[in-house]
Amino acid sequence: MNPLESLAEQVPHLQHSFDSAFVFGSGSFGMTQYVLWMIICFLITLAVVLAASKRLTLIPTNKFASMVEYGYEFVKKDMGESAIGHGYKRHLPFLATLFFFILISNFVGLIPGCKTPTGSISITWALAAISFVYFIYWGIRAKGLGGYLKSFAPSGLPVVMVPLVWFLELFSTVLRVLTLAVRLYGNMFAGHMVLGIFALLTSMFIGSAIQGAPVDGAISIAWVLFLFAMYALEVLVAFLQAYVFTILSAVYIGLATSDH
Amino acid sequence: MDGTLVIDALKLVGYGLSTIGPGLGIGIACYGCCVATARQPELQGRLFTNFIIGAALAEALGLIGFVLTFIV
Repeated sequence: MNPLESLAEQVPHLQHSFDSAFVFGSGSFGMTQYVLWMIICFLITLAVVLAASKRLTLIPTNKFASMVEYGYEFVKKDMGESAIGHGYKRHLPFLATLFFFILISNFVGLIPGCKTPTGSISITWALAAISFVYFIYWGIRAKGLGGYLKSFAPSGLPVVMVPLVWFLELFSTVLRVLTLAVRLYGNMFAGHMVLGIFALLTSMFIGSAIQGAPVDGAISIAWVLFLFAMYALEVLVAFLQAYVFTILSAVYIGLATSDH
Repeated sequence: MDGTLVIDALKLVGYGLSTIGPGLGIGIACYGCCVATARQPELQGRLFTNFIIGAALAEALGLIGFVLTFIV
């Protein structure tokens, strides 16, 4: 039997394994596996940061603490200073929290058997909503409500163009919450789907080889190599998506609080 | 032919078409980033940051197409 034919039967099971399912409880009070992994990721983030902050010294001696400090410096230099500019220091705790939490969630999902919390649209919606409310709050605090609303349209436009540009900018600002959420979710979900399909293909071709088809055994080695290549790409994507989410939040904060 | 099947197929075709624009946009942004880095390698950090921001903004259009396949 051709192993590719049985793939069509297996893919719905794979898709079903990504659905939210209750770990315990049901209906009005319960916990899905994504929420469980989100809490685990919160605890890991807390443990990493607390453990590193206890070992901080003026002269770096501890490798673990230097690693976390390097991550914080990365957020400070590459995201805070270059994207927000003046007055970036007060936003650093928020950005660093976002970065470390998303990074750890993405990497936890890469461990076989674990689920990534960011592979669920509900959790990325929540993260995007936090970022959205945060930059609007700081925009209103920097310019006042009227000033912030006025600042959507850039100054120096002809008078007739102002309402049109203002409306378009308002629309694109509201869309930011959608794109932030869907970008993270889409990348994580699609990546895990591709990894799952390559793993399924590998197991099917090995099963076919055991039943007496040596060519399928040779092909299964190629699928394993593909799986490793995709896994390497997913490690890059996991880091890049945490970076993109954080730097876009920083850019939006910078746009909301800057003077022009 | 079944009407809902045609609509489902058309949704996928429409999403495929909607990824052309962001694909071109990210390609052009990457080209610009590579050329600028070749000319002034010392600016690589800033250029890469700007490239990521531009690519993310172009990608937003593809993501809107992705969401619309669920909504419509």
